[in-house]
Amino acid sequence: MDFIASHENWRNCFSEVAPGLLLFARQWVQSAADAEDIVQEAFVKFWRRNHNIHNRALLYSAVRSIALDFIRRDKRRARREATVFAETEPSIEPQFELENDTQSALAAAVDSLPHDQREVLVLKIWNDLTFSEIASALRISQNTAASRYRYALSNLKKSLQPQ
Amino acid sequence: MNDFSELENELKKLRPAQPSPVLFERVEQALEDCRAGALEGTTPARSHYNWWWLGFGLAAAGIVVLFAVISFEREHKLDTARVAQSSPASEMRPEASETEQSRVTGRFVPAGGTNVVYNARDEGLQFAEGSERPVRRLRYQMQQSWRWRNPETGASLRVSYPSEEIVLIPVSGQ
Repeated sequence: MDFIASHENWRNCFSEVAPGLLLFARQWVQSAADAEDIVQEAFVKFWRRNHNIHNRALLYSAVRSIALDFIRRDKRRARREATVFAETEPSIEPQFELENDTQSALAAAVDSLPHDQREVLVLKIWNDLTFSEIASALRISQNTAASRYRYALSNLKKSLQPQ
Repeated sequence: MNDFSELENELKKLRPAQPSPVLFERVEQALEDCRAGALEGTTPARSHYNWWWLGFGLAAAGIVVLFAVISFEREHKLDTARVAQSSPASEMRPEASETEQSRVTGRFVPAGGTNVVYNARDEGLQFAEGSERPVRRLRYQMQQSWRWRNPETGASLRVSYPSEEIVLIPVSGQ
């Protein structure tokens, strides 16, 4: 439990994973501030026990679990989130630093993906998780993870094709 | 998968928004708090266990009250019978048999119980306070029913109440 020894490392690890973690947390909550709260809680809990970032699936699983708890905890918020989720599911927008119109179109296409596909895509593309890690984090089979990923890419390709 | 390699490259060029600098400070502060042994987390611990115990307590209290009522009624009938027994001899015979009957009618015996799990939810991995290892939290929602039956009269008593159980299963990391 030597926090001093690991104290410098956490910054490196966190810098590396924080953007992807935030993006993942945004799959569950609308507000960036809420996503940061969730990521903070998950990372601190994770780091307290692991002191390294090797078991990433556990970290993402923690983010997911805390995000769900976060939603449950505040029922008013949950209702609001649920309403938004139900009405405009595609608009749970991952936040990207967009540089041009092409990227905007791509981000919009990602936003329009079904939630389960987008979740896998976010973990695979922007968090570099393997299918095995994704399966573990989302508690699904590797085949399901791979299949959702393929569907996501296929749907993206279709939606980006010129009409 | 090669069909998608170009698309994957394009997706990877999209950069997620960076966290605010304040987040690093907050994480640092939280880790400092951990080091000081004063970690309180960003949110208070949930109190679902209290609700759970409250539910169980109420259910148990309900059963105790039911037993008390049954017992009271039985005593009341016995008392009535005793009063009747002290009546003139002409009335003795029928009242005596009533006493006997009241002893019998007050006897309820357990006749079975059911515990129906109507919802089970896997709530994912958690870090329980004070635990070094993550645990998987499973929430079971059940309907418990208990039956008592009077073998002589055929009367039955049934108590049914909902309950919730949270099971924490330790998991080992790789």
